[in-house]
Amino acid sequence: MSEMTSKSQQSCAVLGIFDTPNALMQAIPKARAAGLGTVEAYTPYPIHGIDEALGLRKSPLGGMVLVMGVLGALVALGGQYWISAIDYPIITGGKSAASWEAFIPIMFEVTVLFATFTAGLGMLFLLNKLPFFGHPVLSSKAITGITRDRYALALEAEDESFDSAAAAQVFREAGAVEIEILPAPDRSPFLTSDFILRTLGGIFAACVVAGLAMFFLTKWFPLLAPMKHMQDQPRLNAQKGSTFFKDGHGMQLPVAGTVARGYLPTATGTQDAAATLVNPLPRTREVFAVGRKAYANRCEVCHGALGNGVGSLTAAYGGKAANLQAQQFRDYPDGKIYWVLVNGKNNMPSHAPYLSESERWAVVHYVRALQRAQNAKDEDLKMVAR
Amino acid sequence: MHPEAAIPTGAIPESLIQPPLTVGKVTPGSLDDQVLAFPGQRPPMKWYLALAFTLTILMIGVFCMGVTVYKGIGSWGNNSPVFWGFGIINFVFWVGIGHAGTLISAILFIFRQRWRNAIARFAEAMTIFAVMCAGLFPLLHVGRPWLAYWLFPYPNQRALWVNFRSPLVWDVFAVSTYFSVSLMFWYLGLIPDIASMRDRTSDKLRKGIYTVLAIGWRGAASHWQHYEKAYLLLAGLATGLVLSVHSVVSFDFATSVVPAWHMTIFPPYFVAGAIFAGFAMVVIVLVVVRETMDLKNLITTRHLEVMNKVILAMSCIMGYSYMMEGFTGWYSMNPIIQHTFMNFVSGTYGWAGWLTISCNIFVPQLLWFRRCRTSYFWMILVAIAVTIGMWFERFSIIVISLHQDYLPSSWRLFKPTMVDYGILLGSFGLFFTLVLIFARVLPVIATTEVKAILPDAQPGAGAEGHFAAGETGTTRPMEGPSAPSHHGDEHHV
Amino acid sequence: MSPNKHASTLLWGATALGALGVLASYTTAGHERFWANWVLWFVLMFTLGLGALFIVALEHLVGARWSVPIRRIPERVATLLLAAIPVGLIALFALPVLYPGTRPEAAQNHILAGKAFWLSVPFFSVRTLIAFGLCLLGLAVLVGGSLKQDFTKNPAFNVRARKFAPAFMAIFALVITMIAFDWISGLTPEWYSDILGVYVFAGAFLGGLAATTLSVLYLQDQDRLQGVQGDHLYNLGAFLFAFTVFWSYIGFAQYMLMWYANFPDEVIYYKVRLTGSWRVVTIALASLHFVLPFFALVTRAAKRDPKRLRRVAYLMLFAHVLDMYWLIFPVLGTTPHFSWPELSFALFFLGGILLWIRGAMQKGEDMPVGDPFLRKGLEFHL
Repeated sequence: MSEMTSKSQQSCAVLGIFDTPNALMQAIPKARAAGLGTVEAYTPYPIHGIDEALGLRKSPLGGMVLVMGVLGALVALGGQYWISAIDYPIITGGKSAASWEAFIPIMFEVTVLFATFTAGLGMLFLLNKLPFFGHPVLSSKAITGITRDRYALALEAEDESFDSAAAAQVFREAGAVEIEILPAPDRSPFLTSDFILRTLGGIFAACVVAGLAMFFLTKWFPLLAPMKHMQDQPRLNAQKGSTFFKDGHGMQLPVAGTVARGYLPTATGTQDAAATLVNPLPRTREVFAVGRKAYANRCEVCHGALGNGVGSLTAAYGGKAANLQAQQFRDYPDGKIYWVLVNGKNNMPSHAPYLSESERWAVVHYVRALQRAQNAKDEDLKMVAR
Repeated sequence: MHPEAAIPTGAIPESLIQPPLTVGKVTPGSLDDQVLAFPGQRPPMKWYLALAFTLTILMIGVFCMGVTVYKGIGSWGNNSPVFWGFGIINFVFWVGIGHAGTLISAILFIFRQRWRNAIARFAEAMTIFAVMCAGLFPLLHVGRPWLAYWLFPYPNQRALWVNFRSPLVWDVFAVSTYFSVSLMFWYLGLIPDIASMRDRTSDKLRKGIYTVLAIGWRGAASHWQHYEKAYLLLAGLATGLVLSVHSVVSFDFATSVVPAWHMTIFPPYFVAGAIFAGFAMVVIVLVVVRETMDLKNLITTRHLEVMNKVILAMSCIMGYSYMMEGFTGWYSMNPIIQHTFMNFVSGTYGWAGWLTISCNIFVPQLLWFRRCRTSYFWMILVAIAVTIGMWFERFSIIVISLHQDYLPSSWRLFKPTMVDYGILLGSFGLFFTLVLIFARVLPVIATTEVKAILPDAQPGAGAEGHFAAGETGTTRPMEGPSAPSHHGDEHHV
Repeated sequence: MSPNKHASTLLWGATALGALGVLASYTTAGHERFWANWVLWFVLMFTLGLGALFIVALEHLVGARWSVPIRRIPERVATLLLAAIPVGLIALFALPVLYPGTRPEAAQNHILAGKAFWLSVPFFSVRTLIAFGLCLLGLAVLVGGSLKQDFTKNPAFNVRARKFAPAFMAIFALVITMIAFDWISGLTPEWYSDILGVYVFAGAFLGGLAATTLSVLYLQDQDRLQGVQGDHLYNLGAFLFAFTVFWSYIGFAQYMLMWYANFPDEVIYYKVRLTGSWRVVTIALASLHFVLPFFALVTRAAKRDPKRLRRVAYLMLFAHVLDMYWLIFPVLGTTPHFSWPELSFALFFLGGILLWIRGAMQKGEDMPVGDPFLRKGLEFHL
């Protein structure tokens, strides 16, 4: 019967106000025993032991945080591994691309980030269902006391049959100093968590649109940059003149006598001065192989395969290259041959740009071998026979 | 043996009795009237004067930052081989300042040090402001701050990723995590207080703002249950975070091969140094706040004394670290490391090394004396010395190690420019401007948390004052009787 | 009565058996191996005792009240230092065998020559003796004074301990660093790491904490700690958890920095421990000293569950032994030694430690009944 009569002035909760936490705690069992509705307390600060008194279930937040923390760790580890070892492997500091040690700090930070945001936002949004601006307690008279120094106990309607008068009576008997009957809210509040979530969703969508717009804008107008001062530095540009040097060139020739690092020339003086140079290479099979190859590439065309000055050039054009088998050249010390390779002689150009120092000396060995082959002695025959 | 029978009835020595956490009669109502009233009042003239002063300093800094952005990093004193100059010194300095706030709000919360409740809000705010100041410097040092988002790994049209083996990328993650977590921690703590402000103000505009900020907090027991759980979890996580952040900052140096940077003790030593510097800054600010805002009944001499003890303890840890570094420098028998360590006490920058050691180790030893721990003059003196000392510690670490390393041909001295000084000054301006605004706009003391530890705040606690008697640690005076003026009305034990 | 007696016989028997094995290993297993074992168990006993004494001093330093009812337990565990001192004096004979800095060849090594005096047997021994003296001082003031307070009920002890605690912290820092640098890092004197003292401290504190937790649970089973309840256990569990994380933080920081910088004289330390069979030991250490206890204690309920705490405390003690093994045994070579000599040493020293602690558990009252803060400690709730 009460369902019909109380429709017009439906109350959703009754508040009993207490002055001390002790009075509140003593009233809780009485209110729960009455069985009129859900018992809830509103206090200015957390009261020890009120969870058990109200029979609240344990907060599931710890489990949520643990799960999300582990998830954060896995996301960070997986993400770093994928980026560093699979998608964009670059070697830095001589470490392997999948070096887990370097991933630990960020893994820890992301774990904490996931866990804390789960704890904070999960508590507010998921468990406490905030933001919620339409709760009747917020518009009650008692709220100024509740957030200050009063302790309120509420019996909240679970269904239509809520008997607010009986609830008020329970509080009166439990020693409440004030009682307030809260009317049901007559309009649904607009700032609910649903609304907030929808708004956030809208903002996110707007961000996505803005991001896409930025992407295409920068793609079509790639030279948009906020400031260019760092590009406007004085510097040399390729193919551009410069007033810095007298000759107007940006790039300058090396100073005369400049020597490349590791290529100190050994035969710079006259040919006679070079006579004292000693061939630094041993006479090994490998050295002769190098010398033979270099000779074949660069010398044979003029001086001939035997070194007798009859090469393919002679056959084709009648050119006269030096006969290396001549006594004059057989008497040359190694250094003089080397000097000719570096500086050239008569019509022969310098071969220094094409032969490295060790190749030149290898060629010297090979020329000596050619000379010996054409002027063999008895001992040599014995060596071959053996 | 039966413990009940054996429990002694002997009196607790007077020197071990802790003074209460509040002085005089403090009730939840009076607390709100005292603390939450500030945002509604017109600030006094001296507040405006202070704000004008800090804003002026901030503007100098903003000008110098403008010069840096316009002209580039060349306007700083950085050179080769001192590639890291004021930018990194100030970054490490400010991040360090922030650590005290997290220590107070998280670590001391876990250790149930209830004295923290009165100072936690301010310290947390200082954390956030300090991290903001710190963030400025790497942002400027990248040269093109408008491209700073390149520091984050995000899929981009250049098909590039950041290098996760770089400690500087770890820094990006650590500092941004630290800032967002601190901000959330701070905001969660503020929600019940903002709800109190919402319900006590009649001003339409402010009520509207507070209503939105309090997101409908109504103090339901079921909400408090999740709230407390969340706060505990956040405190635990923030404890790990605060250790990790300055460790990661120390990795910037320690992973390198620069002599006297590559020291394995760097991570814990940087964390201790950060807490040390941060507490000094908290003491400086809290003394001013306590005096000018008349909060002597809530921030008592006991609070200041305990903070000074933490400073002293940290100073001793720093002393241990310095000694270990010096000893290891010798023990390594590595001539380059030995040379660098000798540079800390002699050579061009020897004065900076000695200043560091004096301000960080020698001066704080004054705090062994109770008189120094409770006198404004001495504690401010020590706190300022520590602030200077910790700045110069970072100066020494960065400049002394870099200016002479393995290659004597490239040794060079470091000379900061006016732009360097201007930005450093400006960061102080920014910090104190934010502190001043905060002090007048939001509740400077976490009223909700203080309410919960007032005598009689919890059921079952008799007049004996379960909390006020202070059963928790680090809190008792070391010697001599407590000053009578700081005993509360109630008698304890 | 009879199971107690049974256990006692078993312990004595195991210790005697171990002693035989120890003697046999001196003659047959080689001196180096014998002394490596001996140093391991000396360092282990010493760090356990020192860790327990640190817990006591920490309580006085910060004025913690919750731990007053169980303070007698770490005080009793700390007496292990008394047993460790003769073991340490014998361990000094290991110096010429195991410690390269004490050998004459050290003069040829340019790194060791510079610090030859520091590493030499006389100065090494003097440092160790000074450390022993300082530990005895700490033991006398903190533990002796506390035991005396049982009769005198004089609260002046609390004031004295409070004043002595900061001084003890300095002593502790000195002694634990000495242990780390001389006894552990001295095995590889070219290698240096200034965090090693903190690393050994973290392990020692965890070891002391685990021994304390086990003893508290043991006394609780015998109904000798009435009034100590879940919240006290929770705090012990929380400390175990926190310092597990701290130990790993320090250990990882040291490893990561050396791995990253890749200095040849530093990474050799980890190169030895990360190749071959030592790699298995290293991974086992990381899992048993960090991963397993971390996940075992991460929830709030687990930290106050006596069953789980007991298991984790056993695990932590084992992990501490493994940690010392990992620090000391690579001096013997690139493969881990583990066979009957190690088992004999474990039997002998574990038996001895257990016998000692069992004896110590009868010392004085089970709670510091003369402490004026005992009631406050018993009333402790989270």
